[in-house]
Amino acid sequence: MRDLKAVGKKFVHVMYPKKSSALLRDWDLWGPLVLCVSLALMLQGGSADSKDDGGPQFAEVFVIIWFGAVVITLNSKLLGGTISFFQSLCVLGYCVLPLTVAMLVCRLVLLAGSGTVSFVVRLVVVIAMFGWSTLASTAFLADSQPPNRKALVVYPIFLFYFVISWMILTFTPQ
Amino acid sequence: MLRQDSNDDTEDVSLFDADDEVSRRSKKSKIRHPVASFFHLFFRVSAIVVYLLCELLTSSFIACMVTIILLLSCDFWAVKNVTGRLMVGLRWWNQVDDDGRSHWVFEARKVSAQGNKASSEAESRIFWLGLITCPMIWVIFAFSALFSFKVKWLAVVVMGVVLQGANLYGYIRCKVGSRKNLTSMATNYLGKQFLRQTVAKDDQTAS
Repeated sequence: MRDLKAVGKKFVHVMYPKKSSALLRDWDLWGPLVLCVSLALMLQGGSADSKDDGGPQFAEVFVIIWFGAVVITLNSKLLGGTISFFQSLCVLGYCVLPLTVAMLVCRLVLLAGSGTVSFVVRLVVVIAMFGWSTLASTAFLADSQPPNRKALVVYPIFLFYFVISWMILTFTPQ
Repeated sequence: MLRQDSNDDTEDVSLFDADDEVSRRSKKSKIRHPVASFFHLFFRVSAIVVYLLCELLTSSFIACMVTIILLLSCDFWAVKNVTGRLMVGLRWWNQVDDDGRSHWVFEARKVSAQGNKASSEAESRIFWLGLITCPMIWVIFAFSALFSFKVKWLAVVVMGVVLQGANLYGYIRCKVGSRKNLTSMATNYLGKQFLRQTVAKDDQTAS
């Protein structure tokens, strides 16, 4: 259960992003897998038993997250970053945690109603979590770049989490 | 105390373990870690079975996909951390140095001086059989999904290929690492098989 404890420690690190190297040193991809699956499950609209049950959307979310993370990693490596491939994937995956929390909150808010008030609440929550995700991952990833390249590395990460936040915000249940 | 002549495994005969020879020979074909062997095959085979039968079992694509993903991840973890170590004494991992560089480490357990090989042949056969055939089956699925345009299954199949292929690659490198050359190891193996067959034929014709 050493693996479970490592995963739990990394989740805590994401929520309180201090400049420690625990996330970077012992990377693992279990946390990102769990987050990806739960986010994709929560982004499903209709009932779970119909033939047309949003199947492609599940695979879409999966592909967007993993393919997006791979592209960002390649980008940072091409810019001369010192972080390794899997470490970068690990950080990007774990920093999806705030957005998953935002999705949970959005679903709960949508249970209450779907008017303007709920939209404003969801907007605020999603923007806050998006900011948190971007800051957390930037804190870990931007350090591996020379200072004049930091913006070039931060911009794709910003876009990546923006797309995920957009998917979360525009989610409306059937 | 009769010392028995064992024709097949004469490498590690010790003068003082006459009684143990019989038990050692039978141990080579016995499975030492039945639970590990079972789980090694169980996750892989059930992932393939679920993939094949998902249309029949349930009409929900998501339930199938999540089940297959869960089975594949459990299988990856089990094979990498547990069954490889127990069944064939190999392990591999990624090591990140203090200065941030990462490299992969492949290790094989050395045979102890007593000749007490901790891995039995049956287990080794089960391990390598499971390890080699399942990624090949997933590659076949990948091609079939591509050519029949069932693109939504491609994500699952690609995951299967990647995870099981990674384990296969890691363990092959562990095995080969001590001999440093895949082709020389292959010719070695083929040569040994050929020799064994000719010796067996000689025995048959002689007796």
